[in-house]
Amino acid sequence: MENDSMRTDGVAKRLPTFPWRTEFVSDLARRSVFLASVGLLALMTNGCSSDQAQTVPVNVDLTFEPAEPMVGDSKVDLRLTDPSGNPIENAAVTLEGNMNHAGMKPSFSELSEQDPGHYSGTLEFTMGGDWFVLVDVEMPDGTTAQQQIDVPGVKVP
Amino acid sequence: MTVALTSSNIKADAPSPGAPDGARQQRLRTSFDVLRLPLLGRFLRWRYSRMLLQSCVLLLSLVMIGHAFWGPQLAPKNLAALLTWVHFRGLVVIVILLAGNLFCMACPFMLPREIARRIHAPRWDWPQKLRNKWPAIILFAMVLFAYELFDLFSDPWWTGALIVAYFALAAITDVLFRRASFCKYVCPVGQFNFVCSTMSPLEVAVRDRDVCGNCATKDCIRGVHQEATSSKDAFTKGALPLVQRGCELDLFQPRKRGNLDCTFCLDCVYACPHDNVGILTRLPAEELAYEGTRSGIGTPERRFDFTALTIVFAFGALLNAFAMISPVYAAERWIADVTGLRTEWPILAAIFALALVIEPALLLGAAASLTRFFSRSDTPLLSIINRYIRSLIPIGFGVWLAHYGFHFFTGLLTVIPVAQNAAKSTGTAWLGQPQWQLGGLPETVVYPLELGFMSLGLIGSWMIAWSIASQRSSNRIALRFAPWAALHLLLYVSAVWIMNQPMDMRGTFLGG
Ligand code: SF4
Ligand code: SF4
Ligand SMILES: [Cu+2]
Repeated sequence: MENDSMRTDGVAKRLPTFPWRTEFVSDLARRSVFLASVGLLALMTNGCSSDQAQTVPVNVDLTFEPAEPMVGDSKVDLRLTDPSGNPIENAAVTLEGNMNHAGMKPSFSELSEQDPGHYSGTLEFTMGGDWFVLVDVEMPDGTTAQQQIDVPGVKVP
Repeated sequence: MTVALTSSNIKADAPSPGAPDGARQQRLRTSFDVLRLPLLGRFLRWRYSRMLLQSCVLLLSLVMIGHAFWGPQLAPKNLAALLTWVHFRGLVVIVILLAGNLFCMACPFMLPREIARRIHAPRWDWPQKLRNKWPAIILFAMVLFAYELFDLFSDPWWTGALIVAYFALAAITDVLFRRASFCKYVCPVGQFNFVCSTMSPLEVAVRDRDVCGNCATKDCIRGVHQEATSSKDAFTKGALPLVQRGCELDLFQPRKRGNLDCTFCLDCVYACPHDNVGILTRLPAEELAYEGTRSGIGTPERRFDFTALTIVFAFGALLNAFAMISPVYAAERWIADVTGLRTEWPILAAIFALALVIEPALLLGAAASLTRFFSRSDTPLLSIINRYIRSLIPIGFGVWLAHYGFHFFTGLLTVIPVAQNAAKSTGTAWLGQPQWQLGGLPETVVYPLELGFMSLGLIGSWMIAWSIASQRSSNRIALRFAPWAALHLLLYVSAVWIMNQPMDMRGTFLGG
């Protein structure tokens, strides 16, 4: 069952059947919202460990500066809201960037809260190509949430 | 190093030392013999060494399959995706370069097959019509295609499914058909390894040809049958149960040449009653200069299936690397715009047809026409292509080495944190906390390695083409060689250009 949901998530990740790269990246915001709406499925991506930690649904809106990230440090802005749209404050937010291809070192980043529910920081993309970012959220009450956001086509300057 | 000379049966009939003896040199391979090494040699001569190696790899495969289906569905965190597409592929080519076809030796697919064969012994012989490389060539191309279409490198679940399918196919084939039908006619990884291993420094070969000449039993090919216990049994000796297989790939040692079709299973070593088979050193790629019939294969330079296999091998190397860089998006987009297609597989199929059929046909046709023109002969073009095609193996191998070596070296240590992470998911971090900062060699270090592999391949290809050009006539060798040298150079330049592009490691883009 759990396995099934993971597959569904894998499919959701590539729902647009012919996603040309440029459209894909400029669509990032829409995609983040789309992914957030299947947040519950994304929570399952952590496999067996997901039943140990208590997880909650959250909406994650992640944007990069520049909007199409390049190799190097990218500025990250993240807005965290609950399902009814209220900002989530005082959460610990960590990002983990990975490439789609196995065999690459992940890059990590801890975000700090600027305004209520608005977190920012930098994330380093070490190589050109398709990335995905895992957003790990720990609420003040100890509950956690994880979400995966695709960042395809990181360019080499 | 003349280790082989110390063998007792050779000492007995060897001429007095110091006397130059061409014939003796011919029959004795005075090379280094791995089977005579103290520890390793003893281990390999132990009959169950292969099974032990296979069991280890099988165990690892089971862990990978488990992680593929029940572990995290993120390629960089999944042992199946990481080990298959980064470590295994890289190790296969590097080990073949440094030693020999040790993957086939430790092949995990053979173990379930052996067990299945005990339950159900195969009854059929592999069909005569399929006794060629075509089934494997088609599967090889299909695996390359599926790899791009389904982005297998970023998909643990499908990677696991592929491994399971592979186990099943090997077991089913060999439960139905006798001898090593799967290895010889079906397995695409096997064919890849066979072609690569023409470039390796080790070869399973006879130590002294004279011993074979006087050998009555030929157990290396027939296998060792149980001792006859009565005269009636002795009469039907061939029907007695086999206690040690002979070569299931139909390679008869005294007439075996090179590594093609050899799985390094060492059955011939265990079977030979005269202890006359060794793992001997030799000059890599030397066998490619040889022209003529050999046991179990016939004459490869007259077999079009070998030509097709080499084409898929050499041009597939470029295609597989090309598919990882961004210009491939441009190519796909262009085809989509021109044709109005909105699904990926026909576009990818077009690129494959272009790279594996049309482009090779044009380039090889052109080179063969020039060679024919310069040699003023009327040999059919296909015969010329069949003869020269093997000169593409070194450069093709160089490109595979560069590409897979790139992934292997840049991702070498990532297996540590991924394994630690997998162990952690069992409840306790019994391998320690994941050390995610571990990566591999920096790209700046790996790049010169890639260039080195490809340059060695280019030189190897030139040497083989020169030897082919000089084999049948000593006239105009340079002119007959030149078109092929130009083709190798073209492949080399394309490969260098590809390796200079950032490896985009695309996943979502083509994977629609
Ligand atoms: S390798 Fe051994 S069994 Fe085979 S022909 Fe030679 S001596 Fe006989
Ligand atoms: S038995 Fe055949 S395949 Fe096995 S090592 Fe000997 S020659 Fe190679
Ligand atoms: Cu690659």
